[in-house]
Amino acid sequence: MDSNQAGGAGSSNSSDFVRKLYKMLENPSDESVVRWGNDGDSFVVLENEKFTKHILPKHFKHSNFASFVRQLNKYDFHKVRHNNEENGQSPYGPGAWEFKHPDFKMNNKDALDNIRRKAPAPRKPNQPNETDMLVPSQQMDMVSGQLMATQAQLHALEGRYNELSIHHSMLLQEVIGLQKTVVNHEHVMQQIMTFLHGVDATQRRNSKLSFGPNGAQPPNGNIEGANQAADDDNPASPLQHASKLLSETNADVMLNPRNLEQMNEITMRMNGTLTTPPPDFARAAVRPTSRGPPSASSAGSMRLENLDNLVYPVGQSNGIDPMYSEHINNIPYAAPPKAVDAAEPKFLEGRKKSTIPDPGWIRPPQILLVEDDPTCRRIGSKFLYAFHCSIDSALDGLEAVNKMNAGSKYDLVLMDIIMPNLDGVSACHLIRQFDTTPIVAMTSNIRSDDISMYFQHGMNDVLPKPFTKEGLLHMLEKHLVHLKKPSAQGEGMAAPQPVQIARQLVLKEEDSPAKSPATVSNWNSPSQMPGVSPVGSTVTDEYAQALQGQPVQHPGAYSVNPMQANIGYNSSPQMQMQARQQQQQQQQPPASHRRQISDISGGDDMSNPAKRQQMYAPHMPQQMNPMQQRPR
Amino acid sequence: MSASDDKSGDIMLIPGAEDTIDPATFEQILEMDEDEVEREFSRSIVYDFFGQADSTFKKMESSLEKKEGEYLKELSELGHFLKGSSATLGLTKVKDSCEKIQHYGSQKDETGVKDITEKESCDKLKTTIAQAKKEFLEVKDVLKEYYKDTD
Repeated sequence: MDSNQAGGAGSSNSSDFVRKLYKMLENPSDESVVRWGNDGDSFVVLENEKFTKHILPKHFKHSNFASFVRQLNKYDFHKVRHNNEENGQSPYGPGAWEFKHPDFKMNNKDALDNIRRKAPAPRKPNQPNETDMLVPSQQMDMVSGQLMATQAQLHALEGRYNELSIHHSMLLQEVIGLQKTVVNHEHVMQQIMTFLHGVDATQRRNSKLSFGPNGAQPPNGNIEGANQAADDDNPASPLQHASKLLSETNADVMLNPRNLEQMNEITMRMNGTLTTPPPDFARAAVRPTSRGPPSASSAGSMRLENLDNLVYPVGQSNGIDPMYSEHINNIPYAAPPKAVDAAEPKFLEGRKKSTIPDPGWIRPPQILLVEDDPTCRRIGSKFLYAFHCSIDSALDGLEAVNKMNAGSKYDLVLMDIIMPNLDGVSACHLIRQFDTTPIVAMTSNIRSDDISMYFQHGMNDVLPKPFTKEGLLHMLEKHLVHLKKPSAQGEGMAAPQPVQIARQLVLKEEDSPAKSPATVSNWNSPSQMPGVSPVGSTVTDEYAQALQGQPVQHPGAYSVNPMQANIGYNSSPQMQMQARQQQQQQQQPPASHRRQISDISGGDDMSNPAKRQQMYAPHMPQQMNPMQQRPR
Repeated sequence: MSASDDKSGDIMLIPGAEDTIDPATFEQILEMDEDEVEREFSRSIVYDFFGQADSTFKKMESSLEKKEGEYLKELSELGHFLKGSSATLGLTKVKDSCEKIQHYGSQKDETGVKDITEKESCDKLKTTIAQAKKEFLEVKDVLKEYYKDTD
């Protein structure tokens, strides 16, 4: 009866381990190896080796004696010592292990229910030596369990990240599409405006005819007529208003598709769609270091300095490409030319001791400075340069119109008003036939009627002369909001991509030992973890490495990202080229009206994208300007 | 010239500077110098301006003498031109005179409001150009003095 209970129902309350233990002792064939003690209140392992090899696997599915002993300990079994006997030897032989529990007795299965797993108690210092030995493996189990959990977590995170980056790139695509639509709408609007202006002009002409030249208020609501130049030759004020609104909310200016395209490209690159290595790695890398590191400070730019001495890869443009304004800060300072009468536009370059804070552009704004006076031009350029802009200059309105008509893209035009050959207002008026870049009048003539005339001809703002640094910076920030860095933009984007970046870095940097590709890939795929008990050294080594690697990789990842952001912008000349060509196609029809100008400037590079790289080349129209030498 | 003992680098301490130079405007140009001893940038701007002003005054004088073609318009433009650069450098007196030249050249009075005759214009131009030139030479001395101690 007792034995029945032991085998079956009676065991319901007792633990598996204890039941198995009891069952093991019921097997008479193993008596030579393990059996009940002589008094039936303990059990003895007589032959340790055989027990471990043959009996343990049969009953406990492992062959680890230490583990067995640990388990016994957990259930409060104790090893029986025989120190009080004469020779200190166990009666079962020198190699025997005898274990005892007050409730573990032969023929008393009911008592088995009282054997419970101990609550994990703080280890007693006076514990026997054998348990000390067992502790490390117990901890090991715990650590390896945690490691597994962490890796599973990491894996989940990685999956989540991949998912998010796919969503991100999908969203980017969407936004780019939307931007294009908006820009197209903008152009439609402008065409409608042009048409309406035409209609309006016809109406005014008609009303003039019927009311006489100084006739009463024209019927179409022209209220400007009275206080303007006392004629009614102005467009109807609703139209003016609309034009002004249009030019203020110009989608071409406000939406900068290039930023998005560049983001998009980075994403694609990261997702592995684009496998080409970044061709202009170094070029982009140098930039952030050569300017004050404003928000991209800390680890990012520090790391980048290591990359400074990389060679320029032979890329699209063979190293330095004057088109990319990013270079402006890298070109060693050359003394500003003494002779300012050369029609050649110049970049003022050099390093700047910084009394001026970096305005924090996402890329250097391209500014066209139109100014006939060399002193003003040089000081203006110098200020602009200090504000991290890249500067092109034109000596008069005609040159400015030619430059813009030839396809040069600027973010802002600073335009003197009184200039030889073609004054600023006329130049602005011409430019407005084909371009919507914001134009700021730079002038000392700032009477209200002057100013309203500037606005009428499409100028966006007025910067009174002599301008101050602060005034100039204010203008830039006002009209180039879309180029301002939204605090820490670049960094946030691709930061959680340690793996691929780390790999790229490995190619470039030998100085970070923790980033061997092997480590990275192991860390990346927990499934490679050996499933056996991790007492062995391999896993822990990896774990340790990974732990070390982690903090190292992170700055790495962060430092690469701003760089990649630049790469995205820099290294996609094809994309930019396409974008430009598109823009040009849009400009083409009006441009052909002004054909004579582009003809004169030798400017059939409109249709020749390859030539645009040299768009700063001084093919300027001296031949057209017999009067140019005048007021120097 | 008497201020050669001035090592403070403050141009406004040079005699004659106070009423000819606007310190805020001039100093923002000095701020652009990368080397505060050499002052390469501002020096080259200022010395270029000297040359520019010299040649402009010459053109003004010969134009007023010959009275050919639209000489008044040309004088007005020359006045405007020099006004711009002197204003940018903060050379207030020269700038004010150049502004008058600009107005007289377009046959307006010195505030640019009332019309005046060609004769009046010529007379006023003659004295104003002379005055502008004198003021220029004064401020030129101050500036030369300022840049001298690093010569």
